[in-house]
Amino acid sequence: MDNFTRRLREDAATIDAEVSPQLETRIQASLAAIEPDVARQRRPARRPVSFWLASSLTGVAAALAVIAVLNVNDPDEPVVVPRIVAGNPAQPLEIPALDLDAEAAMLTAPLARELENLQADLKKAEEVVRGDVRIDF
Amino acid sequence: MSDELQLVDAAKSGSADAFTELVHGYREGLFRFLLTRCTNHADAEDALQDTLINAYRYIGSYDPRWRFSTWLYRIAIRNAGRLRTQNLTELGDPEDDRADPLAHCIADSERDNLWRSARRILSDEVFAAMWLRYVEDMSVRDIADVLERSSSWTKVNLLRGRRALEAEMNETAGNTGSEAYG
Repeated sequence: MDNFTRRLREDAATIDAEVSPQLETRIQASLAAIEPDVARQRRPARRPVSFWLASSLTGVAAALAVIAVLNVNDPDEPVVVPRIVAGNPAQPLEIPALDLDAEAAMLTAPLARELENLQADLKKAEEVVRGDVRIDF
Repeated sequence: MSDELQLVDAAKSGSADAFTELVHGYREGLFRFLLTRCTNHADAEDALQDTLINAYRYIGSYDPRWRFSTWLYRIAIRNAGRLRTQNLTELGDPEDDRADPLAHCIADSERDNLWRSARRILSDEVFAAMWLRYVEDMSVRDIADVLERSSSWTKVNLLRGRRALEAEMNETAGNTGSEAYG
């Protein structure tokens, strides 16, 4: 510790900072009068016994109502049970024929037209080339 | 878990006794610091009381990653500042020696108390930084947290404060070759 630091500490120690008994009493009284905010938040509010009784009764009544609704159903309403028919292993399963051609034709028609157009263009070009060849030679 | 953290937990649960025990070791140092910050002795007492009340009330917000003393001094500085602002508005004469709590508290000595000089020549924040460093032995980081300043600011101003006080000390001692304020 250098001289400067020592001097500062010594001078600070000369400051009389004794907490008087009056101040001590004041502080203790103030602390006793308050409580931390956290403690106040954590502690649930105290509710009367009748509140818990009413809550319990409401819960039981609601549960009974749900049970009654589920059990007292309309008896005329047919219950749909999925029927599973076991297939005959000797008879092969028939697969219905799908009309795949219609959609295929519909999808490939533009391509067919395009092919025709290209062939026509090629033919025209070939004729032009043949004509040019004849002219040149 | 350290004893201090156990006391903090107990205080958070609402134990005033645990809080009293927790702050007992800090109380005198805190009051001494507040005497240097307030304009009169009564204000320093009020500031100490308010600091402890606020610390207890808001102990739930205390983050144990901080040193407890850092958190406590931060509250103290705010309370002292608030009280001083009120008093400056009401009294309007901060330079009045009669209002100086140190004038009554510093024991008679052959030489002038360096902290009185510090209060005269340093700004409030630099004074606080010097006090926290040299009396409370806080780290630069903790001082920066207390004063809500950067570590760089704290380092620079600690150096300036030290130079200024050393110059004052040398001048008082009759040393003509003192350093200039930094």
